[in-house]
Amino acid sequence: MAAAAAKKCLSPLALLTRRLSAPDFITQSNYHQKVVDHYENPRNVGSLDKSSKNVGTGLVGAPACGDVMKLQIKVDDQGKIIDAKFKTFGCGSAIASSSLATEWVKGKTLDEALEIKNTDIAKELSLPPVKLHCSMLAEDAIKAALADYRLKQHDGQQEAVRASN
Amino acid sequence: MFSVPSLRIACLNRAGLNPPRLLRNRLPVPNAPTGNSSCVSTCCHKKKGTWHGNINFRGLGKERGLFYCNNAVFSLRSCSTTEVKLNCWKCKQLLVETPPFFCNSCQTIQPPEERTSYFKIMDCDYTFTLDTQKLQTRYLQLQRSLHPDNFSQKSVKELEYSESQSALVNKAYKTLLKPLSRGLYMLELEGMHLDEGTDSEADPDFLLELMEINEALAEAQTPEEANRIGQDTKGKLADLIVQIDAALHKGELHAARTLLTKMKYYANIEEKVKEKLSEFM
Repeated sequence: MAAAAAKKCLSPLALLTRRLSAPDFITQSNYHQKVVDHYENPRNVGSLDKSSKNVGTGLVGAPACGDVMKLQIKVDDQGKIIDAKFKTFGCGSAIASSSLATEWVKGKTLDEALEIKNTDIAKELSLPPVKLHCSMLAEDAIKAALADYRLKQHDGQQEAVRASN
Repeated sequence: MFSVPSLRIACLNRAGLNPPRLLRNRLPVPNAPTGNSSCVSTCCHKKKGTWHGNINFRGLGKERGLFYCNNAVFSLRSCSTTEVKLNCWKCKQLLVETPPFFCNSCQTIQPPEERTSYFKIMDCDYTFTLDTQKLQTRYLQLQRSLHPDNFSQKSVKELEYSESQSALVNKAYKTLLKPLSRGLYMLELEGMHLDEGTDSEADPDFLLELMEINEALAEAQTPEEANRIGQDTKGKLADLIVQIDAALHKGELHAARTLLTKMKYYANIEEKVKEKLSEFM
């Protein structure tokens, strides 16, 4: 009888009707809520001007699931990220991860943004183990955007040096 | 220390490619051997201190080195390259077919042999190009004889075996039917997988192109637009299939993996096209 009850607990439909008392049930329903929230109320979806010197673009892909993710940051002269936009084509967890990433980088300096770890994203969204790679993808997208920005800045500086010579 | 009453033992010897199989415990009937297998093995090591006596080694007939193993649990770290020979669990006769679905002598259904390649099961050549018509015919032929509905009046054991066999055939068919899953399975057989995480070798221009296609599809206002993208993608997929076939034929696994990754992205787009078109209806 206990085994049958346990089996029922694992069924998602049962989750809706049963009283959620055990902690892991609460985690499961939270995961749904947070990820679904990002999916239904997307924040920061869109594009920034790729050619602008203040914009860094990170474009990453995940072969196993075929997801593609673009994350862009706009940086002011003080080195602070003032805007971020994303576009992700993939599963709900990937979309939520990148959406959360754009929320988190806003207001951070470049070095602070570099500190964002996929484990933080996964924890915040309560991602199940099978979706951890989505948070990894988001972290890589942030890093790619930062790297792209730095490269542009570096190139810009080199050009300025050449021009002054 | 194990002391399991009855077990079926099979030794897997395939040039060390396949890891050892742990013995399966069938319906335990004390002191009644449920199945025997004759193993031709040149070396056989026991798992570290985990098996219990009760092994009968006796030479069988004319073949040298054959032995029956009864009533013992051990995993064989086999390093020989000779073939596995299995016996029917019911009449003990040697099974000759590969793969042996039924016993030649008593016609009883056999349990599926683990790690049999899907290509062997579906009687297809181990190549990327596959005759899907032939595959389908074979699938129907197999299910006609293996489906559990045919075993409702037979013993519980036979019904169970038919369920496993039928499920395995379903899996094999599904995997081999589509080029993408077929190619990925072939890579898997050679020990290669797609990257779980981010694609470190991805071509940025390619990712950009993917982004643009995805965006165009998302913004498509008419079914014609969506269809156009669909046709485009189909063309790219057809191209990739030719390239993958060439790469696998030459044994260029890394190239094949890169191409299959590209295929995965395009296959996703194809799926989204279908979804988009259904939205328009």
